[in-house]
Amino acid sequence: MIAVIGITLKGVFRDRVFQGIIAFAVLFLFIPSASTLSMRQVTELSITLSLSLISFILLLLSVFLGATSLWKDMERRYTFSVLSLPISRCSYLLGRFFGLALFLILSSTILGSVACLVIKVAAGLHPPDRPVVWSWLALAIVFATLKYILLVGVALLLSTVSTSFFLPIFGTICAFLASGITQQVYEYVNSPIAAEVVSPLLKPIVAVLYYLLPNLAGFDLKVNAIYGIAPNFAGLGITAVYFVAYTAILLGLSSLSFNRREMK
Amino acid sequence: MSAIEITELSKTFKGKRGAVVEALNGVSLTVGQGEVFGFLGPNGAGKSTTIKCLVGLIQPSSGNATIMGKAISAADARKTVGYLPENPAYYDYLSAEEYLHFVGRVFQMPEALIAQRTEEMLKLLELWDARKRQIRGFSKGMVQRVGVAQTLIHDPDVYILDEPMSGLDPIGRALVKDIILDLKKRGKCVFFSTHITDDVEKVCDRVGVINKGRLLVVESVENILQRGVEGYAVRVINKDGQGENLFVEKINLQSFIQQSIQHQQSIEKIEPRRKDMEAFFLEIVAQ
Amino acid sequence: MMRVSVPVALLVTGLLAYCLLIGPFTAYMRNKPIEEKLGFVPSIKLIKPLSADQKEIAGASLVIKVVMYYGGLMGKAMDGRVITERPDLMGMSRLLHGAVQLDPYNMDAYYFAQGFLTWDAGQHKVANELLEYGMKYRTWDWYLPFFAGFNYAYFLKDYAKAAEYYKRAGDLSGESLHKSLAGRYMQESGQTELAIFYLTGMDKNEKSPAMKKIYQTRLKAFREVRRIEVARDQFKLTHGTLPASVEQLVKIGLLTSPPVDPYGGSFYLEADGKVRSTSKFAFAVMKGEKNNVGN
Repeated sequence: MIAVIGITLKGVFRDRVFQGIIAFAVLFLFIPSASTLSMRQVTELSITLSLSLISFILLLLSVFLGATSLWKDMERRYTFSVLSLPISRCSYLLGRFFGLALFLILSSTILGSVACLVIKVAAGLHPPDRPVVWSWLALAIVFATLKYILLVGVALLLSTVSTSFFLPIFGTICAFLASGITQQVYEYVNSPIAAEVVSPLLKPIVAVLYYLLPNLAGFDLKVNAIYGIAPNFAGLGITAVYFVAYTAILLGLSSLSFNRREMK
Repeated sequence: MSAIEITELSKTFKGKRGAVVEALNGVSLTVGQGEVFGFLGPNGAGKSTTIKCLVGLIQPSSGNATIMGKAISAADARKTVGYLPENPAYYDYLSAEEYLHFVGRVFQMPEALIAQRTEEMLKLLELWDARKRQIRGFSKGMVQRVGVAQTLIHDPDVYILDEPMSGLDPIGRALVKDIILDLKKRGKCVFFSTHITDDVEKVCDRVGVINKGRLLVVESVENILQRGVEGYAVRVINKDGQGENLFVEKINLQSFIQQSIQHQQSIEKIEPRRKDMEAFFLEIVAQ
Repeated sequence: MMRVSVPVALLVTGLLAYCLLIGPFTAYMRNKPIEEKLGFVPSIKLIKPLSADQKEIAGASLVIKVVMYYGGLMGKAMDGRVITERPDLMGMSRLLHGAVQLDPYNMDAYYFAQGFLTWDAGQHKVANELLEYGMKYRTWDWYLPFFAGFNYAYFLKDYAKAAEYYKRAGDLSGESLHKSLAGRYMQESGQTELAIFYLTGMDKNEKSPAMKKIYQTRLKAFREVRRIEVARDQFKLTHGTLPASVEQLVKIGLLTSPPVDPYGGSFYLEADGKVRSTSKFAFAVMKGEKNNVGN
């Protein structure tokens, strides 16, 4: 599995997709000057822009690398040469996953450090009213990373069942979009105001989707980082366990489905 | 213990609109250690399907098989196997050297040994100068040679090669033939599929012919060649010094020789005239 | 070994943990403070270039976000549950302003902003500026000048301006009714009817069931006010003086049934005879205050 993690990392770094996506990081250079567009909250805006940029880059990385890594292996027939080695499908898949996860962690560490630098510059130019709480900023980046690692799991699961890259890529994007609003929709459908207008058929469907789809709204700590609001630590604990549980389910399902996959 | 033992292996694929394709139908086969076995069949006969079942790429619908006594359903069974896929592809972002290192690690070889064997294999297959280049830029023949190198690196007991000669130029073919003969000398088992009968004649101990998912015949190459002899082309020199070319039926050879001694003819050469492997193969498949 | 056991173990552990966890997780997410739930939306300056040629959908999604948020909150209020936070009206307004910058034709944004910016937020000027902006684009939509006219007449008491907008609404709709509105309802006595007329229009036009409910509640309140006003005027006609209280009107039979404020307050008469309610006709704020007082 370690060997697979190794070649996964090597593969990502030599991948043109990665090189293209990481080019977005150049945008960090513009953040300090762009932040001055805001008259009252320069530092806040710089934090916002930095966090959004990190999220955006991580999203692209997780969707494209997560969805194409297995697909490419099958499409380019690498699987014939690799899965016939004495390595179980499960270890191969886990190797791929942990390789990508490690890569996301590396990226977010580097991007996070750059962001801190950028924010420091912005805060130096225009001192904010409330001091920047660096630990919450770090926490926001950590949870954003967890969120996108989970998304890699979704992408891998989809690529074990699909023969093309359409389902993994677009499925993951849809899962990402849906994951941000399931909570709202679920609460709305279950609120008394909706009780009369929402058809009774819709309610169980929404409930099933709510429990089925990942709920990534809890991983968003941008507000806490931007305005220095203390997060609810018990809640974050639950969120972290949720991440582990959901990822384990994704990986288990992916392995089972990948085991059954035939390399014709 | 046999190197490879296949028992009643069957595989059906579900085609489009519920059509069922029988790719393999009750194939049973045993290949001993130290034996070079040629697996002969036309395209789409089930050669690759059999091999992919053996190395765990597809799961047989029924039946089972063992490699060096280990059931093929476990990844462990492949520890003693070097497998060369048909038209192989390797991570093209790695260099040949990196790929061999990766394979060595998967086989859990010690690092020092990996480095040593990698160098040996790259030199053997004439890839040493290209070792730092990414496989992306390799020609088809070079990729095939990387493939051969990665089957050899961990010095396994069993070699399963799917069309090992395809994509190679005559020099490469000769090299691979030499490698197979060398493995045979060292008591390794080589199981390889091909549709080129000439390869089989030159290197194999035994041959199996498969068509439409059924194993039609398993025979030793020597027997086939023996049985195939139909007669002899003989050149005799008469008393008057004139040469004459004759064809002698197989059963008449003994009496012909005695006769020619009586007639004081000298026999200059006797060459067996036989059906070759190709004719044998075509005959079997046509049945 | 690895072939079956590891994935199954992963799956089983994951599912177990998920089942144990999903209850607390949902509760935690449900009770997250509201500011966090409306979420942080990056500056419109950023969204605009990022949404590329999909500005309409970006705008629409902002509006949906606000409607879902407010609808959910109002649902809690009607359920009788106490809301600990007031709705983030300014946040909602900010998002809607962003939405119309992305898609200046988005009808929902204007209608919805008008719905809460006036009574709930008291931001009549802001509402009118937004409507002005919309009128530049939705040149055919008579509702926008109609709303603006209403705001001028009912809240800002600028009758000249109101008449101007009503005329515009009348020209667009082709209904002479709107033109005469300004003249008809310019007195204090006409305000309630004006509001009822306005709310009926809002209600009729609203597609979102949640918002419809909100308008209907308000409409119900104003119909009750109107009922009290009619009784009050009748009392004045016969007695020559204003009644002392709403209860008096019920007692002497001028009000057949006691009026009910759907917002949960109780009606009373001011010294000059104006009908008011302790609820001030706003749900969330009222509940919030009650809660604050209770604490």
